[in-house]
Amino acid sequence: MPEIFIDGKRYEFEGKPKLLQFILDNGKEVPFFCYHPEMSAPANCRQCYVKVGTPVQNRETGEYELDENGERVIRWFPKMQTSCSMEMTDGMVVHTQETSEEVARAQKDTMELILINHPLDCPICDQAGECPLQIQTYKYGPEGSRFEVKKVHKPKRVELGPRVTLDAERCINCTRCVRFTEEISETYQLTIASRGDKNYPITAPGMEFDDPYSLNTVDICPVGALTSTDFRFKARVWEMNQTPSIDITGGKGTNVDLWTRDNLVLRLTPRYNENVNTHWMPDEARMAYTKFNENRISRPSIKADGDNQIKTSWNNAIETFAEKLEAVKPADVLVLGSAHASVEENYALMKTFSTWGVNDFYFSPDVKEGFGDDFLLTDDQAPNTKGVKALGFSETSAEDLKAAIKSAKVVVLLNDELVDRGVLDSEDLKKPYVISLATNETETSKSTDLVIPITCIAEHAASYVNVEGRIQRSLPAKETKYTHRKLDLEMSEGRLDRYGTNFDNWVNEDNKVDCTPTWELMNNLGKRLGLSIQFGTSREIMDEIASSNSSFEGVSYEKMDDENGIQLTGMNKEEVSA
Amino acid sequence: MSFDWKSYTPVIIPDIPNLHEIDVYTKNGGYDSLKKVLSNDWDSEKVINEVKAANIRGRGGAGFNAGLKWSFMPKPDGGPRYLACNGDESEPGTFKDRKIFEYNPHLFIEGALIAAYAMQCSAIYVYIRGEYYSWIKMMEKALKDAYDKGFIGKNILGSGFDVEFHVTGGAGAYICGEETSMLESLEGKRGYPRVKPPFPAQKGLWGRPTTINNIETLACVPLVIKNGADWFSGIGAETHPGPVLYGISGHVNRPGVYELPTGMPVLTLIEEVAGGMRNGKKLKGLIPGGSSTPILRGDTLEGVNMDADSLREAGSMMGTAGMIVMDEDTDMVEMLWRISHFYHHESCGQCTPCREGTGWLEKILLKIRNGDGEIRDLELLIDLCSQMEGRTICALADAAAWPVRYTIDRFRDEFEARCKKSTYALA
Repeated sequence: MPEIFIDGKRYEFEGKPKLLQFILDNGKEVPFFCYHPEMSAPANCRQCYVKVGTPVQNRETGEYELDENGERVIRWFPKMQTSCSMEMTDGMVVHTQETSEEVARAQKDTMELILINHPLDCPICDQAGECPLQIQTYKYGPEGSRFEVKKVHKPKRVELGPRVTLDAERCINCTRCVRFTEEISETYQLTIASRGDKNYPITAPGMEFDDPYSLNTVDICPVGALTSTDFRFKARVWEMNQTPSIDITGGKGTNVDLWTRDNLVLRLTPRYNENVNTHWMPDEARMAYTKFNENRISRPSIKADGDNQIKTSWNNAIETFAEKLEAVKPADVLVLGSAHASVEENYALMKTFSTWGVNDFYFSPDVKEGFGDDFLLTDDQAPNTKGVKALGFSETSAEDLKAAIKSAKVVVLLNDELVDRGVLDSEDLKKPYVISLATNETETSKSTDLVIPITCIAEHAASYVNVEGRIQRSLPAKETKYTHRKLDLEMSEGRLDRYGTNFDNWVNEDNKVDCTPTWELMNNLGKRLGLSIQFGTSREIMDEIASSNSSFEGVSYEKMDDENGIQLTGMNKEEVSA
Repeated sequence: MSFDWKSYTPVIIPDIPNLHEIDVYTKNGGYDSLKKVLSNDWDSEKVINEVKAANIRGRGGAGFNAGLKWSFMPKPDGGPRYLACNGDESEPGTFKDRKIFEYNPHLFIEGALIAAYAMQCSAIYVYIRGEYYSWIKMMEKALKDAYDKGFIGKNILGSGFDVEFHVTGGAGAYICGEETSMLESLEGKRGYPRVKPPFPAQKGLWGRPTTINNIETLACVPLVIKNGADWFSGIGAETHPGPVLYGISGHVNRPGVYELPTGMPVLTLIEEVAGGMRNGKKLKGLIPGGSSTPILRGDTLEGVNMDADSLREAGSMMGTAGMIVMDEDTDMVEMLWRISHFYHHESCGQCTPCREGTGWLEKILLKIRNGDGEIRDLELLIDLCSQMEGRTICALADAAAWPVRYTIDRFRDEFEARCKKSTYALA
């Protein structure tokens, strides 16, 4: 196998990897800005310099020539080489900044030049704290600057499009954003304008940067030149906790991170998963965070006089729920699961009601024909359509659903905005007694007789099966009235959880929602109805599902965490149809 | 040199009236080399070997053997292959290709056709700088005439050889004279130089094998075919032979383009060919081959000839043979600032060291020019040159750094006289 020597250590490689990627893959580091593993290497930042040599081979025999000590004779490239664009060859010898003064010096030189026209406004820059330029300057940069003349001034606060704002002075012209629109989203909306040190990325005159994936350029921008118009100036990076989760606005199951402070989710960013979304996520999914904070239903509510809902106690809510059920036969109760809720929630609902005597369970798929692209957007608007189906819920059309509601006496509705998305009219919900378990206040929840608040994806650990049959899970990021960051073992342990005080965590009682996970609600209801059910944590529920449902065989939270999601066997990758 | 320059008869721009007209050109033996190549037993290898033997060193500045460059083209695979002709000459002090476009365009066209035949190219592009608007028009006219006469197009002169010929104008960017950014510009993209490898011979225009030659280099080709490699290599300097167009500008009595053999003594060119220094002033400095080549002091030019070896020994380069002559009244600080201003303005901004470095160099030089400079700024300038040289994708950073490094090195007293004493050290 071909070999390469990096800083005196021998590595073997296959194929034709590029040197920088190989160095990074082997846990070593070389600073860089313009390179991105998903895109072409333009080698324009000139930061990833290394010293490279190749062994001298005898032209006839092909054997390596040796010096008097028996060491291979190395012919060094006369110039420093950018490792991002360097193709590896057998026997190559590489020195990084770790073993070569010359390389460290060259990297420092480039860094000094990058910084001369950079405004160095880190204290007011959103990127500070997660800025490759800032981090690498501390690690590899010069100690001071010799630049004593005037910096170049360029446009600031330019609204490139509805979601992205440009500060051209901070730009270091790495062209990552331009290459993103050329190579990844293929909209070709950005280009570099002007020349030399007056360069900056911009759209064509009169055009907007409204690429459906535009915010990814904010993520890959190695400085604070491109910032999210929505998130700008909202929070410092180090004040937030970062929790791995799943996007719930579409069927793709894009892996995301939830960023929380003061018990509010402030932004979503993509999380790398090579099997799902790699480094990217659609802009639409990023705006979903508002649903975790705003319009939340806190405390149950009930229709008291006419159509007005008033807040009520949990006891009263459970009691009313049970009374309404006990007044009718199980056959008169319609139980609707939801592709917008997790596997565990649907399972708890189904198990409770089948124990009580209900035989048929339905859900209404949420599909917008033609919405998807061949990238991360899907026709399926719900995160868990395949999961609900695998649990045994049957798909139902809008007409069948309306008829079923008309003939039912009690309807139990798991978190699904049926009225808002046009499947039902609020009139349809008038006749039977409708109990909705919901996260957000919507037209649907307003049209029902009893609303019981449940936790959203940001507050519980639960699993979702994407359109490709891949099961992935969320972790709780926000506290509810009944959870505590330090006591909830599922809660991801951020830096502030580990080292901070409560004060650092900015946890504010006002931002805690009075709601409960569906399975805990089902426990209470089951106890009141005298059913022999008892759900533990969602982790235990998943173990129970895995042992009883062949579709979920072998699934557990441990395995999902280890493997970054599991492809369920027996589920094909084709799209779910309506 | 005992060579009598006055007896030399020009061959690239010979003294024939109206030679730019195709009838005059053909009457004077024009397109005979093309006919010779196409009709006889000249195969592509023979043409390449002949040109290689003639040792035409690229006239665009790098001085690389043209025939050798042609031989780097891979074997034909049935797909298109291109010849791109570089007429972007934008280096300050260089204005020779313009003469060819104006006075002898068909010589260049014929040379390009022979080159395309040798490398089995299917299309030729000639890229002319946008400022040369009239000359672009002249080339278009010349190409139309050559098309009409059947020298370009399908089945040229009944030989079965097909080639198309296109003219493209630039839009005023110096960087588009760099061969790979010229390719980008020809493709309709922003003129950013490409990362090499892959080299243009493997992946050039539209990802296909491409060779890029200077206009003057190609103009030499018909002469080589007509008179033989030995004739060509017998002219001028042994290691850098052939006729060459000297573009002499600056403080001389008769600035202009002069065709003479390579290896002419620098002082003969200035004193005799260009009519001597203006107003009888003393020669202070000479930039021998376009603004990026290192400046030479006037008092070190004795015995220096205009060929690659002699100039290297003297501490400079042949470049494009665009000589800028400066007399004793020249302010070297002002001159260097103006050159740096040019490179700052023309850096494409792709690579960090050049984008930031060219601007920094200019700003420091402006400071010195305005009398605010300090001695330590000179050290910083030299340091910056080391931070730029050889650290970028193309050679523009080198072109910007060399004048600074060598002008300060060779006229340091003048710079120090303009600088104040340093009050504190650099960070």
